[in-house]
Amino acid sequence: MALNCPRCGGDKNRVEHQGKEDGQVIWTVHYCTACCFTWRDTEPALSIDSTKRRKVFQIDPSHPERFGVVIPPVAR
Amino acid sequence: MNKYSDLPIKLASSVRSMRDFLDLLSSHDQCITWPDPVMPEPDIREICVASGQDVPGAPAILFDKIRGYPDKRLVTGVHGSWANLAILLGHPKNTTIKAMFYDIISRWGSEKAQLPRVKPDQAPVHEVRIERDINLYDILPLYRINDFDGGYYIGKANVVSRDPNDPDNFGKQNVGIYRIQPHGPDEFTLMSVPIHDMGRHMQAAEETGKPLKIAVMLGNHPAMAMFAATPIGYDESEYSYASAMMGSPIELTESGNGLDIQAHAEIVIEAEYIHGRREFEGPFGEFPGSYSGVRRAPTFKVTAVSHRKNPIFENIYIGRGWTEHDTLIGLNTSAPIYAQLKKEFPEVVAVNALYQHGLTGIIAVKNRFAGFAKSVALRALSTPHGLMYLKNLIMVDADVDPFDLNQVMWALSVRTRASDIMVLNDMAMIMIDPAAVTPGKGHHLIIDATTHMPPDPIGGDVEIVTPPSGPAIDALAARIRALQGGN
Repeated sequence: MALNCPRCGGDKNRVEHQGKEDGQVIWTVHYCTACCFTWRDTEPALSIDSTKRRKVFQIDPSHPERFGVVIPPVAR
Repeated sequence: MNKYSDLPIKLASSVRSMRDFLDLLSSHDQCITWPDPVMPEPDIREICVASGQDVPGAPAILFDKIRGYPDKRLVTGVHGSWANLAILLGHPKNTTIKAMFYDIISRWGSEKAQLPRVKPDQAPVHEVRIERDINLYDILPLYRINDFDGGYYIGKANVVSRDPNDPDNFGKQNVGIYRIQPHGPDEFTLMSVPIHDMGRHMQAAEETGKPLKIAVMLGNHPAMAMFAATPIGYDESEYSYASAMMGSPIELTESGNGLDIQAHAEIVIEAEYIHGRREFEGPFGEFPGSYSGVRRAPTFKVTAVSHRKNPIFENIYIGRGWTEHDTLIGLNTSAPIYAQLKKEFPEVVAVNALYQHGLTGIIAVKNRFAGFAKSVALRALSTPHGLMYLKNLIMVDADVDPFDLNQVMWALSVRTRASDIMVLNDMAMIMIDPAAVTPGKGHHLIIDATTHMPPDPIGGDVEIVTPPSGPAIDALAARIRALQGGN
């Protein structure tokens, strides 16, 4: 089943790391390649459940031009 | 010379590394090891917030039982209380903030930097070297600092970079604290703006196409963490400044990518700027206690990692105050404003800009005549820091300790008239002031809480009580604290 990003809803995610103890997986860290959100599957729902996150913190990465740029790149 | 005792100051000057400092803090009961297993979220955040409730005396907290990160160690709150700063400065841990402020002022201008060199193959930081299959999530016990941060921030790194146009200039080599958000196992964004030295280096690399190599130092000499954020001249070395301010050596070595790094840093991440690349960065809970939004920020590729054996990842809790950030930079925010004001107004006695990086400041001044303090306030607003940060400024007389808020409230209560308030509309303001109507622009407020001087009539038949004060009373207060056994 595709895992959706809690912040943008996208499904372009990858596993960054798994925390293990005695060979058992304790948690998995995911990264959304669309909006760059990082999350661990054991975090409180307020941070990682898109239905419980505050809407103001959801983003739509499909229009990057709507976001400010820190030190704009030099055009070449 | 420490006027209370010369024992702690000798110990403080023997500190060579963060580990040494944690040992020193532990010997004063100012560093604890968290006894229970913790989840990365929300446990670490909650413990850090709880510790921030004890601003005078909170200990550094070492975590070595983080679930899923066996054998990894994290420390927070190293600079999180006045007691820890007092020990760093070589004083008993119950030293007053005012005394520490004057101590820092007295060290100002020292040129006795000691920067001995250690060969890279003998430097503890290079004990373990990783050049392949780098995964920051595997090396560092990373976690989310605030609920809605965009990622797992590294909040207390000392970042070293050289000016791409003058790479051999030691003075122009910058060390600064910039927030870092990992993006994948071996990439991260770094937040800086063009007015920062680091921002200048990134901009220069971008304009010239030259490479920009950096070293991200974690777990640093406690003086570096404290002084790297102090605004000093562009061509002045933060290493020299921190060593001179501490009066003790900071040993340097070379990173694998040619930068001067601390020989005793716990972890050093070597990285290279990726030209033209910007990734979504943020939000991040920042020092005003509000989140800075999502922007697209410059990105770096990790090329190698060096670390000591069994390294300790040092991080900070930052967010709604009071947090370690406020203690870490408060005195070093206050001191430059004082030094700049003092040049033209020797009547300035002390500056307290501890609150949210100086969004509120309190200045004590020997009032000379009616309206004098207001003019001093206006000068404070034209200092480099005051320009963007001093939003609310309270002026008090020299007989009021600006670090004692009870005394400040007394002055506000008895010496302020409504006509003593000045509002300066539509001035420059830092972008992340949560109260701003338009980010980057705002109002400055001056409250003149100094006593009324001729030609201003004082009013009714009023005489202020003059309790005993001065060194004798300060010594008695110190003795009372010492008799409590707080040393």
